[in-house]
Amino acid sequence: MNTAIIGMSAASFVIVMGTWGVYLASIPRGKVPVRPFGSVIMQCIGTGLAVLAIVWSYQGNETSGAAVIVPAALALMMALTFLWLLSQRKTPIGDLKVKVGDNLLSFKTTTSEGVGFHTDELMGKRTLLKIFRGSW
Amino acid sequence: MQSDLDKYNVTVVALSKDGLEVAARHKIRDGLRLTLLSDPELEVIRQYGVEHHKAVEFSKGSFMLFGIPLALVPSFKTMAIPTSLLIDEKGVIRWIDQADDYRVRSNEDRVLEAVKSAFG
Repeated sequence: MNTAIIGMSAASFVIVMGTWGVYLASIPRGKVPVRPFGSVIMQCIGTGLAVLAIVWSYQGNETSGAAVIVPAALALMMALTFLWLLSQRKTPIGDLKVKVGDNLLSFKTTTSEGVGFHTDELMGKRTLLKIFRGSW
Repeated sequence: MQSDLDKYNVTVVALSKDGLEVAARHKIRDGLRLTLLSDPELEVIRQYGVEHHKAVEFSKGSFMLFGIPLALVPSFKTMAIPTSLLIDEKGVIRWIDQADDYRVRSNEDRVLEAVKSAFG
């Protein structure tokens, strides 16, 4: 087996998954990078190493088998997933129906406990209304 | 952050497209103290003009890893653009913050700065 290619494959896996780990750890801390250049560069490096490891593994006379293909393929899949998710990050803002100084638009809905809710309940209270994407 | 908001008598109300069951599970899972509203038909979300068509969502095959909820299968769904509105006692909107990048939400510092500016 070609240890250099195996090492390259392992490095691609460590770089990609390590970058994922650092990025995910930033979410609960509320420190998600606005411009994640570092993560993108690391994922690109991981992708490059994974592709090289796979290509060289097939071109070489020796077969390195699963020791190369499995980590490199996983790294490739996870890196491309990361980059694709980043490409989807923009939201279509610009259609907001209220502005600062307007009255809250009245609505009624239901709380998570199944109890009816009307915005009249907010009168006389200071409120931070957070409209969010939903749980995940 | 809740304690900082308590100083200014600001209560937090959060709304999403999650149905009752999902919202209730979310509240328990994350130990949320706020009022969580359910808008599964996106009526309020459309009323406010904060609808995001074809947003990426991970809801299938979800699991917890080191306290972080993760999921394996991405899908496209219509949901809300993350938006925060600070409202005074008279129902007047005093501050709005909307994310043009769904990953980046109103952080604590920005919210507290707005609260202090409006009610300080």
